[in-house]
Amino acid sequence: MANRGGPAQRPNPQTQGKICQFKLVLLGESAVGKSSLVLRFVKGQFHEYQESTIGAAFLTQTVCLEDTTVKFEIWDTAGQERYHSLAPMYYRGAQAAIIVYDITNMDSFGRAKVWVKELQRQASPNIVIALAGNKADLANSRAVECEEAQTYADENGLLFMETSAKTAKNVNEIFLAIAKKLPKNEQASGAGSTNQGRRLQELDGSPKAAGNCCK
Amino acid sequence: MSKASTMQKPSMEPRFAGITFFATSHVGDVCGTNGLPLTPNSITIYGRSQILRTFSHPNLCAYLDIIRGKHERTMIVLEYYALSLSSAQCSISEQGIVKLCQQTLQALAYINTFGVVHRCLAPDNILFDSKGNVKLFNYGLYYMTGQGGDVSFPIGNPRYTAPEVFLVDSQTVSGPKVDVWSLGIILAELALGVGQLWPELKLAQLMRKVLSLIHCNSDTSVLSRIAREHSCWTKYESLPKSLVALINSCLQLKPSDRPTPEELLKHPAFLEHDIANLEIHPFERVEGVRGKEHALSSLPLQELFYLWRLAGGDVQAELKKQGLIRTMPTILSVPRLVLLEGNILGKRRDQTSLLDLKIIPLSLDTLALRLSNVPVSAYYPLIETRSEIIQDDDECDAANLPLIIRERDTEYQFRRIVLFRRLLEGYPYTRSAIIREARRDIPPLYRGAVWAALLEVEGDIDAHFIETDKETPTHTDRQIEVDIPRCHQYDELLSSREGHRKFKRVLKAWVETNPQYVYWQGLDSLCAPFIYLNFNNEAKAFACLSAFIPKYLHRFFLKDNSAVIREYLAKFTHIIAFHDPDLSNHLQEIGFIPDLFAIPWFLTMFSHVFPLPKILHLWDQLLLGDASFPLYVGLAILQQHRDALLSSGFNECILLFSDLPEVDIERCLSDSVSLYCCTPRSTTYRQHERVVVKTPSQKNRPHHPDLEMSAQTVAELQAESCPRISGADLLDLLDAVKFPRPKVLVIDVRGPELYNIGSAPGSINIPHTRFDWTAEIPQLPSCPEANTLLQNRGKILVVAGQGDSPQAAQVAQVLLRSGLPRVCILHRGIDVLQLGNLLTKPSST
Repeated sequence: MANRGGPAQRPNPQTQGKICQFKLVLLGESAVGKSSLVLRFVKGQFHEYQESTIGAAFLTQTVCLEDTTVKFEIWDTAGQERYHSLAPMYYRGAQAAIIVYDITNMDSFGRAKVWVKELQRQASPNIVIALAGNKADLANSRAVECEEAQTYADENGLLFMETSAKTAKNVNEIFLAIAKKLPKNEQASGAGSTNQGRRLQELDGSPKAAGNCCK
Repeated sequence: MSKASTMQKPSMEPRFAGITFFATSHVGDVCGTNGLPLTPNSITIYGRSQILRTFSHPNLCAYLDIIRGKHERTMIVLEYYALSLSSAQCSISEQGIVKLCQQTLQALAYINTFGVVHRCLAPDNILFDSKGNVKLFNYGLYYMTGQGGDVSFPIGNPRYTAPEVFLVDSQTVSGPKVDVWSLGIILAELALGVGQLWPELKLAQLMRKVLSLIHCNSDTSVLSRIAREHSCWTKYESLPKSLVALINSCLQLKPSDRPTPEELLKHPAFLEHDIANLEIHPFERVEGVRGKEHALSSLPLQELFYLWRLAGGDVQAELKKQGLIRTMPTILSVPRLVLLEGNILGKRRDQTSLLDLKIIPLSLDTLALRLSNVPVSAYYPLIETRSEIIQDDDECDAANLPLIIRERDTEYQFRRIVLFRRLLEGYPYTRSAIIREARRDIPPLYRGAVWAALLEVEGDIDAHFIETDKETPTHTDRQIEVDIPRCHQYDELLSSREGHRKFKRVLKAWVETNPQYVYWQGLDSLCAPFIYLNFNNEAKAFACLSAFIPKYLHRFFLKDNSAVIREYLAKFTHIIAFHDPDLSNHLQEIGFIPDLFAIPWFLTMFSHVFPLPKILHLWDQLLLGDASFPLYVGLAILQQHRDALLSSGFNECILLFSDLPEVDIERCLSDSVSLYCCTPRSTTYRQHERVVVKTPSQKNRPHHPDLEMSAQTVAELQAESCPRISGADLLDLLDAVKFPRPKVLVIDVRGPELYNIGSAPGSINIPHTRFDWTAEIPQLPSCPEANTLLQNRGKILVVAGQGDSPQAAQVAQVLLRSGLPRVCILHRGIDVLQLGNLLTKPSST
């Protein structure tokens, strides 16, 4: 049961056309299932007792989209409020973000709204934001109504889905929806992996970095 | 034949025995309301029963281990004696009965203070040691199974069960008084000399019989009715009044009239005779004549059992061999029909899952044979004086084998355990000896105690823990509660409910006693090894955690810890550059900075990134080092994956370390120690490090403050690629007496005019102006001095400039880029050497 839903489709090298590389960041209250969503998406696995994330974890996954291959570089961040000061290091320069909340926990939805505001203010202006109401398999202990979240998402121009890392419901779908919405023209292929590192570091040392935790 | 019998055959009476039962399994994969799967009952039992291992009373058999088998099986190992009240074939004197009663009550009163009730007290659970003293057996069954809630069988022998137990539903928890009734029945059997009461009755009749005793009243006591029913009225009449009164107190029908064990101990019957020196049994001397006791008998039972397992003892295999664990072919346990909702129909009831009270003694012969060539002197090692006559060092073959093998070698562990037990008994006076021995290795059996000693845990830790508030709800509770069920949950102890409770209490106590700090995710991982090792001693786990954090993670848990962590990571970057320039250059180039991967390493001292067995070995060594030692562990981990890192780009590198790859901990630790030993201390100076007040006995160098390190901002640290070395450390390295072959080369980057006035002994002069700073990547200029420099590769290369001018740092970076190891910058420049009167006029070359 826990292994239902394999990892997202891997590209077939023969048929691939354009390759696009995007940086995606996961944000949200702790224990809402950020790491579990990534693990389901990247490895097709689910662990009941997913360990807490300290600092951040990095994973990559590639999805096929008609003629384009989209490679996600995923930063999975620590959820505890205290690690907040590290977050800008990960979301700066990100083209996409998934903000996760737990549908059985109203507070986590409130926290998700705070993240949305912060990204709208601080992150790249064209960032694609998706809202994921995770733990949809626990619908009988639901605390956040689907309609409420949908209305909020519509008002703020967010993608929205209720997901379940446990049953794999909407996990690949939400990443695919983000991939579709991302602009493919400016991201030329060959954005090499070494550039990624440079980019992160340069941004880290930029004047804007005064806002992060090395203040 | 004669030869075999005259030889000292290593043979010992079994000292412990195994029993087993099944916990009720949850039907199907049922999840709790939080979405997490329900904890298996056997794990709940496992966690709950740990406390039983701490019970120590002269009239109780000690619990040695609780083991989880497959399919919710629990196996228990207890201290054991072959003689039980049910197997004893001769009668006991009336005074002997009183004494038996007193000792049993003392044991019961003791377990009652822990909230434990026996509930299955019966003659087969009353054993006798070789001196004829009572040793209660299997007294934890009712407690460990959650008052019977976690098992599907009833607990207690109906013949000895108090009538009120049959009258209430199974949810009602029995109190200490049920055991007093059982004891009363046992005493009645002994006093009347009838053997078992109602021997001919079947189970259902027996229960009815016990209930029928309710008809007794103040005129006919239960005892008199039993006497009449068993036609031994004459015997009853002849019993001493005090004994009858004692039994009647036990057999009070109404629990409210019946005393608790504690109360009954005040009964006048115990005062009447001098029974302290009385022997209950006349037959116990049989054991005594067997001859000299085996030397192994002198070991504490816990050690004996630990060694028994090392010598190949396997409880499950023994139980299987004795027929207590029977396996049924899987095909027979498949149900006929399973409904979609998960209901199972037509499954044959597995008879093997019922309780079997058989006790299987575990033979010590293999262990005795394995240790037969150990001389008796090894049982009493000298710890204070080294005797020249008794050479007891390294005579064990395993001493030079890898750690993993040493930990499994019976004889080696025997020696280590005996040695450490004696050293720990002398703590804190033996602290230096404990440190010395711990450098070799720490025996797993005593790891918890040894760690506490290394962390200098002393004083009344229990009182401190008790008075700390661990209950009042705080705003960090939610975070602690979501973190605990995710922390090392593969481990049986830490995933048990009892484990979660302990986690919460210790973490809350830490937050409460450290108001300057806050709970950061990761503290749970840090707490885990201490809880694991001190599961039955929360106060010690807490004391260890409280000592560990200031020593290794001083100020890391401040609400705003960024300056502390950034400084630590900057030092980590410097240490990589100092020891491994190629790796450092590559990682810098691809932007693989420690901030992205090493925060969980250092914030949790690797306890978040490794599984428990590896953490234990890592911390064995870590605890012997200072606060900078973990930096070298981090470097050694990187170096184990050096080839992969050097050939990879940013993504591959970060993926490699997102899920920490296989690390050989033993090699990592020996590498860290050698790296640590060849690094000048001042290069890892941190302003946020805890200042340790040196005791007068320690070497005290009265240095000018300018010769010591001083604080740099994080930005300054990050701007420099190489670490700084203090003037004091340089003076030390330049000491020609201490190091006849120079270990260090000073590169003076000032202009030649200043250099010629005076510089460090043996230094070379490559002025800053000689470099082409307009080049994109400045290179080492070609000059004779540069050749000298390259020839001295491997020495500590100290780049020194004028004061704290940035020139030295720039040159140091060029040296690092050229792949030179051990480059550092002289803190405050060449000027500080004047303070040591060490400036010499360079000899003209």
